[in-house]
Amino acid sequence: MIHGVIFKKELKRNRKNWLIWTSIVLGFTLMVLSIYPSFSQMGDQMAQLMSSLPEEYARAFGMDAATWQSITGFYGTYYGIYITLLMGIFTASTAATIIGKEERDGTAEFLLTRPVSRSTIVWTKVAVLITLFVMIYAVQAVVAVLGMNLFGDTVDWDTMLNMHIHGFFLVLLFTAVGMLLSSFLSVKLNFMGPIVGIIFGSFFLDAISKATEAVDWLGYFSPYHYLNLAADQGVLELNPWGCVAFTVAAALMIFISHMRYMKKDIAG
Amino acid sequence: MNAIELTGLTKYYGKERGIESVSLTVAEGEVFGFIGPNGAGKSTTIRTLLGLLKPSLGSAKILGIDTFSNGVEARKLVGYLPSEVNFYSEMTSRELLMYHAEVYEVDDAERKIEELGDYFELALDRPIDDLSYGNKKKCAIIQAVLHEPNVLILDEPTGGLDPLMQNRFFDLLERLNSEGATVFFSSHILSEVQRMCDRAAIIREGSITAVEDISQLLAKQMKRVRLILEKDQPLSLPEGAQNHHGSGLKHTFDFVGPTADLVQWLSEQPLADVVLNEPDLENIFMNYYKR
Repeated sequence: MIHGVIFKKELKRNRKNWLIWTSIVLGFTLMVLSIYPSFSQMGDQMAQLMSSLPEEYARAFGMDAATWQSITGFYGTYYGIYITLLMGIFTASTAATIIGKEERDGTAEFLLTRPVSRSTIVWTKVAVLITLFVMIYAVQAVVAVLGMNLFGDTVDWDTMLNMHIHGFFLVLLFTAVGMLLSSFLSVKLNFMGPIVGIIFGSFFLDAISKATEAVDWLGYFSPYHYLNLAADQGVLELNPWGCVAFTVAAALMIFISHMRYMKKDIAG
Repeated sequence: MNAIELTGLTKYYGKERGIESVSLTVAEGEVFGFIGPNGAGKSTTIRTLLGLLKPSLGSAKILGIDTFSNGVEARKLVGYLPSEVNFYSEMTSRELLMYHAEVYEVDDAERKIEELGDYFELALDRPIDDLSYGNKKKCAIIQAVLHEPNVLILDEPTGGLDPLMQNRFFDLLERLNSEGATVFFSSHILSEVQRMCDRAAIIREGSITAVEDISQLLAKQMKRVRLILEKDQPLSLPEGAQNHHGSGLKHTFDFVGPTADLVQWLSEQPLADVVLNEPDLENIFMNYYKR
């Protein structure tokens, strides 16, 4: 099912890209956590600032009075807005190109004329993709925990855990969307634009739906609606069914991509 | 057992024709030519045989193994040299060849790569991206033969190689063939096919129009004759001459027929100079189909 030699080669081929994106995500995580002490020292001033924000704005970005009173709430705001977006863009763009790039660069002819089935090649690439995703996710989570301990006072570990579990399944879904896109669109297309558009679009769709009641139905079209990343009044409940649904949706998208690749003519 | 067996192989791209009912057999140990002008369907046939393209109809076997239902087993027996060489640009030739060797589980791969690298004078440790087209082609040749395949499928194999390397390549092919390898040699260069092959199939507009022994093909082959006479005299053209142009001392015509007859006729003329050219393949085909 998974070809060890190809897996090793693919992992090596993607390591530079992984390192760059992981550095960005880690740098951002540490920056967010390191500025928290300055904010927390501002005490009442921050509470006043929060209350002066337009209510719609605060709702859109998952901010409330509790947001700035603990490092968990503070980190959660940035985790939703930036960190999952960055990880999603990395994994979805890698998913979109990990198979299509071979065709675009002409190396598919070399790969597919080896004694390896197409199915094995696709599943090996999926395994590489999941490995890259799990590695960036795990490294970010570990650094976030260390940063919390370093810069935080009291950490709400339950909220932190639920936030990261939701983040995992959101990024997994975006990864699968990237793979599905590549199986339907031309390999010559630069996928970064559509992927950034989909991920940012999903985020802002959810934000708009939360900000304006008249269009709250827009939220149903965004994955962020189903798996919250920001705590509400300091509490973030786990949505296990949402996680299951996202896993099933991701598996389905990967399966469809696999089926399409199995039938595809490889251009010369 | 046949090394390659294509039966009614058909490939359409939507409504556009790729190849139509291509049937041919290549015996084990044979060097088989596959000739046709550009766009005739040579690469489409090969790419369908190797599973890169999904066939619309028909079947293909390599040493009795169906390449569509059991492609992995079939491809274990094949070495493939593509017409366009595209490798992972970030790798060196050595890394690419080691990767290939690992996939095929080649024994003693490092030594074999070193030997073949020396034979073709290929700088194994330079990144593929920095190699000239000719050197990339050498790397492609090495990966095609490294795992000692039973069947070699070569698509326009000499493009980019200088004459010295072409000769080394042909010598290597002859050696591999003498050791039992079957060679399927696709080209639009007739002289290469003449040199290497016992039989050849001609493909035109997606269909096989003839499968001939090379000797028979040559008998039907057209040559373009340009001659300058020593003195102006009426010229009585040989049987098989056509498309005559010129008068006085200079004449040009196409000749179809046994080469020996042409040489005999030429020896009877008061020649100041003569040039025999292989016309382009399209003209050969035009002539071939006229007969």
